[in-house]
Amino acid sequence: MAPRLNLFTANKAVSALRQSTTPALSSPRSIAIPVRFRAVQSLPIQRRWNSSSDKKVAPQPDEQTFPTADQLPDVTEEANEISRIMDKEKRCDGVPSSPELEQGSPVEEILSRDKDAMKHMPKVMRDALKKSGGSRSFSTSARSLMNDLHGVQPNNESDIISSMPGLEGASDEAAAALASMIEQVQGQALEENPGLKFDAPVVPEDLKTLNFRKRYDTMQDQFTKMMMESGKLTKAQKNMSLILDHLRTSSPPQINPRRRLLGAPPASQLPLDPVLYLTLVVDSVAPLFRIRQQKGIAGGGTAVQIPHPLTLRQRRRTAIKWIIDASEKRRDALFANRVAAEVVAVAEGRSGVWEKRDQQHKIGISGRANLNTNVRR
Amino acid sequence: MASSWCWNCLSRLRPTPRALLPPSATPRISSAPFHSTAVHYAQPAKKKGNSLTVVKHRQSTSLRRKKKKVADRGGRPPAVGERKALRKRIVLSNPNALEIEGMQELSPETMVDSRLRGTVLALPVPMIDQLRAVQAFKPKQGWSIFRRPGTILRRDTIEMGRLFEQISGDADEAQKGKVVKKIVTGMKGSGKTVHLLQAMAMGFLKKWTVITIPDARELVSGDTAYAAIEGSNPLQYVQPGATSALLTRTVDANRELLASLKVSQNHPALKMLKPSSTLEDLAKLGFSDPAVSWKVFQALWTELTATAPAAGFEKGFKPRPPMLVAVDGLAHWMVESAYRSAEYKPIHAHDLAFVHHFLSLLKDGDSLKNGGLVLYATSSSNNPNPLALKIALDRLAARQAGISASSPEYPQPEPYSKADTRVLELLQPAEKAVSPLELQTLGGLTRDEARGFMEYFARSGLLREVVNDQWVSEKWTLSGGGIIGELEKFGRRVRATVSASK
Repeated sequence: MAPRLNLFTANKAVSALRQSTTPALSSPRSIAIPVRFRAVQSLPIQRRWNSSSDKKVAPQPDEQTFPTADQLPDVTEEANEISRIMDKEKRCDGVPSSPELEQGSPVEEILSRDKDAMKHMPKVMRDALKKSGGSRSFSTSARSLMNDLHGVQPNNESDIISSMPGLEGASDEAAAALASMIEQVQGQALEENPGLKFDAPVVPEDLKTLNFRKRYDTMQDQFTKMMMESGKLTKAQKNMSLILDHLRTSSPPQINPRRRLLGAPPASQLPLDPVLYLTLVVDSVAPLFRIRQQKGIAGGGTAVQIPHPLTLRQRRRTAIKWIIDASEKRRDALFANRVAAEVVAVAEGRSGVWEKRDQQHKIGISGRANLNTNVRR
Repeated sequence: MASSWCWNCLSRLRPTPRALLPPSATPRISSAPFHSTAVHYAQPAKKKGNSLTVVKHRQSTSLRRKKKKVADRGGRPPAVGERKALRKRIVLSNPNALEIEGMQELSPETMVDSRLRGTVLALPVPMIDQLRAVQAFKPKQGWSIFRRPGTILRRDTIEMGRLFEQISGDADEAQKGKVVKKIVTGMKGSGKTVHLLQAMAMGFLKKWTVITIPDARELVSGDTAYAAIEGSNPLQYVQPGATSALLTRTVDANRELLASLKVSQNHPALKMLKPSSTLEDLAKLGFSDPAVSWKVFQALWTELTATAPAAGFEKGFKPRPPMLVAVDGLAHWMVESAYRSAEYKPIHAHDLAFVHHFLSLLKDGDSLKNGGLVLYATSSSNNPNPLALKIALDRLAARQAGISASSPEYPQPEPYSKADTRVLELLQPAEKAVSPLELQTLGGLTRDEARGFMEYFARSGLLREVVNDQWVSEKWTLSGGGIIGELEKFGRRVRATVSASK
């Protein structure tokens, strides 16, 4: 595992780590960082997601710096800085932002892994390392965060509670009581629906069906409106009911094993649910994509065929159009009977609509190669 | 051969931008300057091939679209009567629908059983042909989606069943031979026509004579032949074709009954009748010769209403059964017909002898001597909506509610409204009516009956919903209080299941 290393911001970490108050000794910035990095220090701090915003907080009047002032902060400024980090800059959940989150791995950690660097470490840092005894209220180690992420053990609730803001001072007994309460509630939930910790989620489709404000099924509605001519919706609805009655009363389709309907129940059950029958027929012959004729790729004005994916409604639209077009060739006098006979023909795999779909998919498969080509300018 | 140019240099070579080139002083010439002849004097170049896009002289240059080629569907319109046959086709069975286990049939016992109220009873299979013959089924009634035809036993049905029992004399001997006259009304889809069908079915079960007019409109719409009866005053008209059709219907439906009854009266107009001939033979005379069909019908009517044989015909006389007379679409008989008199004046429907005969049954007096039921239903899907009939029915309802004719609440035609007086007089009872005319208004089903009806759909496999009280109550409300035609729409309207709509 490569450790997270951010040398651009290491100087801040070191300044936080520093404990000595003497200005002469507190100049690790010039010591700990290699020379070639000093030039890029003026770059903005690398942005880290999940951290507080790196917008510049407008300096307060007493914090204003002047060009003539000393480059390094004095003691009070440093204390102010630390308290700002600890108190003011809180994350959205109220936990004080740790410098580690903002600024990357501390140099200390890098040095602890590198024996050579340890040897040549400045004395100040060596002293600081010796003195540091975990007195900090937060951890600067990146590992500890990883452990937190992984450690979702069932009985670490007391840890969670103690880490909650505002509860740090609470006694262990209160935490234990709270943990036992949570455990009890969860146990009850488990008893009520075994296998599920919480209530079964309501699937959006179910919700939609329960509050169905529409009179007709979505696909049926789409089919009806595609049969409509001159805005005569009532006539189209009448035709649709004729089609559904035809599907209901005609004998079950003889399914062609080479052209099965997608996810269909046994054919004998289809006439009893004519809307399902119609939906399955339409969905089974619906193409997955349309073929886009793209000019300017091949050059010379030749169009290249590129498959373009369709949404469910678009796919159904194409299939319905094919079915209605194919029904035009039938000899029955009644429009509804023509369409119904074509639907049955599709279900039995006899219709030419299947060839249309196959052809479209064939072109699409051969056109896949053109997907990533760009238009020449 | 190796070039002195490397690839990089080549790729860097770009055409000089146009802007850098000096602008050409002369305009560009598109034609090649090989010939001295000006281009304009040259013959226009002939187009190659026989292109259709050649614009002819004086042809419009607007956009011409290719016309869509319509498939050849036989080349000529369907044969005469084919479309009508398709329109009137009645399908009574759907082999895909599920067979309902334990479905009871309509029988003399079940039709009065109040425990079965709200269940759907199947029509007996041998009776279906009879019902077809009297045209009891209508094309748009939705029989075609069930395994076998059945009707629901609602409150009105059970009451009617009891009426049939009384008139037949099964329950109470005193009530035998009674005549009940009813006009059935109700909202659209409330089941008036099916109520008539149930009456016919009960009539067949009780071995009554069933005479029906399935569509009153056909008699007044001017479709069949008509002729004036000479010497009648006011002038009346007969309709031989319609009468012949009625005889055919009646014989087809009541063949067994008519074949068992012998002629018992003198019919001087029908010389070919023998004393031994049956009523079926009598009716058959009218089939072949429409000219005598009206006389045959009158003879048949006197035979069926006869209570005792005439002299010389006592041998083999059987008492005549009660009669059911059912007419659907009564309102068409309350307006002027489409026929015209010799003076080209419209003929009132009451002047047609056929119509007059059946309307006179509504008047007082025992026109049906052997008892029976007269059921005339209005229709709301095909209704000329005559004003006079509306007032007459309102008056009928007011009389039933106990409002006397002299009270101010008694419905009156609006002043200056041209309400037909003949219609008002027809339905006005005499002072002491022997068998008063009743108005029966069909309403919606109750919730329990509606539940039974919806369960019939569910058990046939057509409805995929959980039929519980809440659901039924919702549909009952949506259907305007259990109007059965609306409930049927809910039953047959399918929604795909959730998995299918995903």
